[in-house]
Amino acid sequence: MTTTATRSAPEPNDPPDGTTGALAVNQLRKSYGAVEVLHGVDLDVQPGERVALMGPSGSGKSTLLNCICGIEPADAGQILISGADLTKMNAAELERTRRESIGYVFQSFHLLPTLTARENVEFPGQLIGLAARERRERAGALLDQVGMSHRAEHLPDALSGGERQRVALARAVMNSPRLVLADEPTGSLDSVIGDQVLELLQTISDELNIALLLVTHDTDCARICHRTVRLHDGRIAKPD
Amino acid sequence: MPSFVSSPIWRVAFALLTKSTLRHWGQAKGSYLLIIAIVALGVGSLNGIRQASRAATANFGLFNEAISGRSDFLIEAPAGPIRETQLPGLAPLSRQPDWHLLPVIEGPFTQVSADGEPQRLLRLIGLDLVAVANLPTFIDREFAFGQAESRWNDWVGAAPRVWISSSLAADSGLKVGDSLRGAVGGRMHELEVAGMLGDADNPVPEDLLIADLPAAQAILTRVGEIDRIEAVVNDRAARQSPARMAEIEDRVRALLPEGLVFRAAAERIAERADMTAAFRLNLTILSLIAILVGAYLILQALDTAVVRRRAELATLKSLGVGQRALFLTLMLESLLIGTLGSILGLGVGVLLASGAVHLLADTVNALYFATSVEAIRMSGVDIATGLAVGIGFSLFAGLLPARDAMFTPPAQILSRGDWSPGFVWLRRPWTGLALVGAGLLCLLLPPLPLAGGARLPLGGFLAAGCGIIGAALLSGQTLVWIARACQRVAVGAATKLALSRLADGSSRHRLAVAGLVVAVAMVTGMVQMVGSFRVSIERWFDVRFQAELYVSERTAGGASAVNGIAPEVLQAVTTGPAVTFADTLYISPVGAPSGRTYLGGVDLGAWSGRVAQIWIKDPGALAPAADAQPAFISETFARRFDLMEGGKITLATPTGSRDVTPIGIYADYGNEFGSAVIAAEVWKQWIQADRAINTSLYLQPGTDANVVRDALRLRFPGLEIRNAQELRTLALGIFEQTFRVTSALNGIGLTVAIVGLALGLFSLFAESAGTWATLRRIGFPAKSFALTAGVEGAGIALAAWLSGTFVGLCLGWLLIYVINVQSFGWTLVWHLPVGAFLGLGASLVVFGFLAGALTGAWHRRGLS
Ligand SMILES: Nc1ncnc2c1ncn2[C@@H]1O[C@H](COP(=O)(O)OP(=O)(O)OP(=O)(O)O)[C@@H](O)[C@H]1O
Ligand SMILES: [Mg+2]
Repeated sequence: MTTTATRSAPEPNDPPDGTTGALAVNQLRKSYGAVEVLHGVDLDVQPGERVALMGPSGSGKSTLLNCICGIEPADAGQILISGADLTKMNAAELERTRRESIGYVFQSFHLLPTLTARENVEFPGQLIGLAARERRERAGALLDQVGMSHRAEHLPDALSGGERQRVALARAVMNSPRLVLADEPTGSLDSVIGDQVLELLQTISDELNIALLLVTHDTDCARICHRTVRLHDGRIAKPD
Repeated sequence: MPSFVSSPIWRVAFALLTKSTLRHWGQAKGSYLLIIAIVALGVGSLNGIRQASRAATANFGLFNEAISGRSDFLIEAPAGPIRETQLPGLAPLSRQPDWHLLPVIEGPFTQVSADGEPQRLLRLIGLDLVAVANLPTFIDREFAFGQAESRWNDWVGAAPRVWISSSLAADSGLKVGDSLRGAVGGRMHELEVAGMLGDADNPVPEDLLIADLPAAQAILTRVGEIDRIEAVVNDRAARQSPARMAEIEDRVRALLPEGLVFRAAAERIAERADMTAAFRLNLTILSLIAILVGAYLILQALDTAVVRRRAELATLKSLGVGQRALFLTLMLESLLIGTLGSILGLGVGVLLASGAVHLLADTVNALYFATSVEAIRMSGVDIATGLAVGIGFSLFAGLLPARDAMFTPPAQILSRGDWSPGFVWLRRPWTGLALVGAGLLCLLLPPLPLAGGARLPLGGFLAAGCGIIGAALLSGQTLVWIARACQRVAVGAATKLALSRLADGSSRHRLAVAGLVVAVAMVTGMVQMVGSFRVSIERWFDVRFQAELYVSERTAGGASAVNGIAPEVLQAVTTGPAVTFADTLYISPVGAPSGRTYLGGVDLGAWSGRVAQIWIKDPGALAPAADAQPAFISETFARRFDLMEGGKITLATPTGSRDVTPIGIYADYGNEFGSAVIAAEVWKQWIQADRAINTSLYLQPGTDANVVRDALRLRFPGLEIRNAQELRTLALGIFEQTFRVTSALNGIGLTVAIVGLALGLFSLFAESAGTWATLRRIGFPAKSFALTAGVEGAGIALAAWLSGTFVGLCLGWLLIYVINVQSFGWTLVWHLPVGAFLGLGASLVVFGFLAGALTGAWHRRGLS
């Protein structure tokens, strides 16, 4: 099951063919003790495609994201990241996949407190052994892109919430992942700042052809996405 | 760069070390300096004690090094001194061109001030100075003897003249021609200072006093005796060649007359070292304990650091940093702490050693042999040991926090992650139970015999170590039980919250309890042992010392610095009109089948009657063996040579091998090598000596002992004459001195425990930051906040005190009935200082509350 990802963006609202995507989830099941949270989730995301994942609180959105980045083991089913099956990987391979193929944006930013904005962005590059010059150039470009070059040398403590999230965005895409997972990235921000962050997400995803799975409660946020899927009772509801 | 550095894990770890770890250090300089200081202090105390005890005990042979270069071999009698009547037999040996023989006599000389107070103990060494002047090595070193002011012929054989060290001259303001006052064997002497020895470049030991051989013999009342003959090989190149030295040794042995033995000089130095081996080993164990508690502090401190960085570690996990890289980063941090701390500790060690060396020298003087202090030196071995121990223990301490960091969940699930995943094994009893079991097994081990006759209760020490740590790990459960019991009666939200957290018994709570339990157990155990020792000695004193006056030689040193009371002085003292009976003790070291022991001479009849003893086996309770001299033996002697039920033992005396057989066993807390006493007349024949070590005077009823004492003092300024009360004060003073190290250790232990508790509370509260933030948001008042934290601290302290006291009682039993019996051979009365236990408990609980409330308040302030 291999695929060469195309690097051209699909047309909005025109989901590409679902077999060779950035992410394919098949019949994923996950339970905590006796409680089954995910009862067979199917989801495909094409390269460069942006998908909004909505659903009531407690429906399992965060759980699904955690399974997709390999932090929570799936009980059954398949998770393919660019064709590679996550459920068959050992811990080291999972870590590598997280480093190289997935970017993660948190609701509460999680920047590393002792690193400056620039170093935070550079950090994933360092993890995969990117040469220092390349790392610096790329981080500089990304910081430029998210409009944070002027605060590049500041520590996270000195940044506002919106600024931190923009740095976190830059960090998430530092290693050009195929897929960015974002769990309510605007949840901690006011609507104006939240909108800026969303627009950035859209631009970056377009420019770098990165697929995005965006968990949100806000239908308005879903506007940057090509399509919206709903998680209901642990399943992806039929599109309405 | 080495290749491993480019492997991903190392690359990531180094990146984290520079980008994260060191920056955290920069942000919290104080805390990390503190951790480094703890390592430094631990390494410093280990090295300091090593260096100090070496400087305080290893000065034997210094005189040889200073005056004649190193002696190559010694000729000695098998036991006791060499008689001058044996010297003609040495004539063939002394006519050899390859070596020089140097007869030596050595004894204590107590310098006395103008008003008659003993000032310092000097070592009077009598040498054949003509022989010294001929030594090739001596001439090399151009010592002051050779200078014009000391022409041999002027003074050899004349009035006693001595050479003193230039440092002593500077200290006591003595010049050439001045007189040096002092006491030997109960008699006062005036010696004339003939010259100074040594200078800044060629220092000699300060306590060195050199006199011509006949003069020294006269001063020491040992005419006709010498202690040993030292030999120096003339050809210095020969010393470098083992084959040549072996050949010389063979020739010496062949020429050696009957009744004298050959010994390599190194052997004798080793023997002195053996004698204090147990003492130094105890100190080493104590300093290792100090390091171990230091490691506990480092563990707590590093753990606090890990907890406070938890969010960051979680983010790193989410970014794909692997477990092993995180572990490695944390271990590198420990390595860095250990290295910096150890380097600093080497310096601290030298400082501590200079401070402790005189204290140790005093103890060695009092307990073992006359010694003086040499300069503190740091050897390569010291450096290596210091670094190895400091780094080793830091890595060991870092292990748990590093494991914890490694298992930190990624940020996505951190919020609902379990507490301290790296510590969960603390919640399970298996490690604790296994350690306690291993400890019990260690009790079965017999004591390890050390060279020189001391015994090391290795099994006892191991049992204590395993038992304490095992029980400490188990005692977290006490906390849970206490908290659950209190929950039923608790009122108030703050208290209930605190108790619910304690009842949950998190791993960190348990770790805090465990650390404190170790300290409490150690302190209660030690307090019991010292207390029991004191009570036993007091009881022994009450029974044993019923005479009115006690007479011994006046000396600035301890038991070892004794020459013996000259017979005519003794005669004059014991035949005074007020004296009804004198219990006179003669004593001499003798050879035993393993190591050495003491043989005493007393009035055996009086010992069975009017001289009271605590008898372990009453006189006559043991049947004497045939063909052996009947003796009373001390408990230590009986245990050491397995004579509790009677039997026979052969001792090496100056007049050959002699058998003694016990007819009674008495308690004696004065001598850990054991002693046997036989009839004084027999002793004099066997030992060929007649100087008593002390005598106790029983006076006529109705006599005022102090009047007699004062009269005797006037008549015999060279004697120490004490009444029973003064003797008791003196003996207890020596006792306190011996246990000063122990009390210091108790203090260190408690301080460490308390600091450890504070650090533990720090990480506990740091870990609960979420709870505190929530509490603050829902308007939990500041006071309740402090109360909750205080109750947590107090609860931990209470649980630790209860368990610790229980463990401490077991330790007390172990110390008194196993370790003490095995290493000293005497039994003690078990004494429980209940008041001290209760006081410790109360202060711990109060401290726990305060520490909790303060750290809690600090954390609350830190929340924004
Ligand atoms: N570690 C866990 N143990 C037990 N149950 C869990 C665990 N994690 C999540 N759950 C349960 O799984 C369900 C889904 O949780 P999840 O966090 O995925 O919901 P969500 O859709 O992200 O909700 P929200 O929109 O509120 O963030 C919930 O009912 C939650 O209680
Ligand atoms: Mg969620």
